[in-house]
Amino acid sequence: MKILDEKPDALLNRAVRGDEQAFLALYQKHQSALYRYALRMTGSQWAAEEVVQEVFLVLIREPQKYQAERGELGAFLYGVARNRVMKHLEKTPRELSLDVMNADGSAWYEPEDPLTPMMIAEKRERIEQVREAVLGLPAEFREAVVLCELEEMSYQEAASACGCPIGTIRSRLHRGRALLLAKLELLRDVPRRASAGAK
Amino acid sequence: MFRAGPAREPSSLRTVRKAVAMMNCEEFELRGLDLDRADADPQESAAAAKHAEICRRCSAMLESWREVKCNLRLLRESTRLDSAPARVEMRLKQELRTRREARVPRSAVAVAAWAFAAAALLIGVVSWGTWQRTRHGQESSRQKVAVPGVSTQIPAGPDSDVLASERENENALPVEAKKSSGNAKLQVAKDEDPGKFTLLPGSLPTETEETAIVRVRMQRGALGTLGFAVNEERAGEWIQVDLLVSNDGLPQAVRLVR
Repeated sequence: MKILDEKPDALLNRAVRGDEQAFLALYQKHQSALYRYALRMTGSQWAAEEVVQEVFLVLIREPQKYQAERGELGAFLYGVARNRVMKHLEKTPRELSLDVMNADGSAWYEPEDPLTPMMIAEKRERIEQVREAVLGLPAEFREAVVLCELEEMSYQEAASACGCPIGTIRSRLHRGRALLLAKLELLRDVPRRASAGAK
Repeated sequence: MFRAGPAREPSSLRTVRKAVAMMNCEEFELRGLDLDRADADPQESAAAAKHAEICRRCSAMLESWREVKCNLRLLRESTRLDSAPARVEMRLKQELRTRREARVPRSAVAVAAWAFAAAALLIGVVSWGTWQRTRHGQESSRQKVAVPGVSTQIPAGPDSDVLASERENENALPVEAKKSSGNAKLQVAKDEDPGKFTLLPGSLPTETEETAIVRVRMQRGALGTLGFAVNEERAGEWIQVDLLVSNDGLPQAVRLVR
């Protein structure tokens, strides 16, 4: 039986006892999604790195915090990451925007498309605009957009990760979408076609 | 607020027609943008799509959202392979190893502590048992000495013949019968004297449970036969001494009774 086929609980038990392979299996399974979530929420690679590290340190140092009967390990890890992200956003609200403004495009993965340089430049610009617009959303709306639109979670999964009812997630997503629409319309400097409830 | 017009579609689904008829712009704003989602309610999606067909404002909003969604997809694809740097994994592995190494000495210390506690307990139990046996031994020795017929406790030595004759007449003799040098009147010490015993020359300390204390009245000069220096001017003085007599009947130590 491969190590990746084992249940997360069994892997966690082994990891807590010091089994490095079991811990690495858990890490490899969850770190990427957690890192992307933290990166999209904070806009800072450094902060995202710290968040991922802290999440797994919690798993190493306080494994008893995870209770299998209350949900899946992935949701638990998202919950821990979310707490760390929110703390980071509370502490450094200004650092966020500066970091985003200074970020160069080299950090982002560019799929190799048969596009002309001009098309690539336009595409990169669009991506940057969307990224800035997402980062400009209030944290709770941003979180809903990141989880439901970028991570493509279902409402149920997003609600589980955020620890709130599905209705709350839907409501936040609705507001987030409206604000995103408004921001992107403004960013493109074209007349707004729809307010979509943006204030 | 725009209201959806009458349904023109040839749909045969009554429920869908009902939903379409019920959806307005406000509801479209709330749920209409979900129509492309995989987990969207099919009835709501159909209603939203139908509403967008007849409402220009909501149709424009849907179009805008699809454009935004397309850009969001680009962003998602551009960051699809993002993951935490390898240094995070290294730090976590280091932490895991540190904790694992720390756990081993901690358990060794715990085992050592338990072993030490067990040893201390064992020593305590053994000591208590020994003390109990010693106490019982002393009591039984005292009881043996207290019995008149226990003559084996009486020291054997140069005066043993005299003492033997003394023993024969023990009941008849008064306690303070006078004897010549070396003759002694035996008297069993009934209670312990707090004074210290002085070892006789050539004697070695023995187990207390194998000894008995015998009170003797004799002339001071008799101490010379036990190896002590005696002031000859007071050699004729009568004194009482306690003799510590070992199991073999030989006196081991002596103390003066005041």
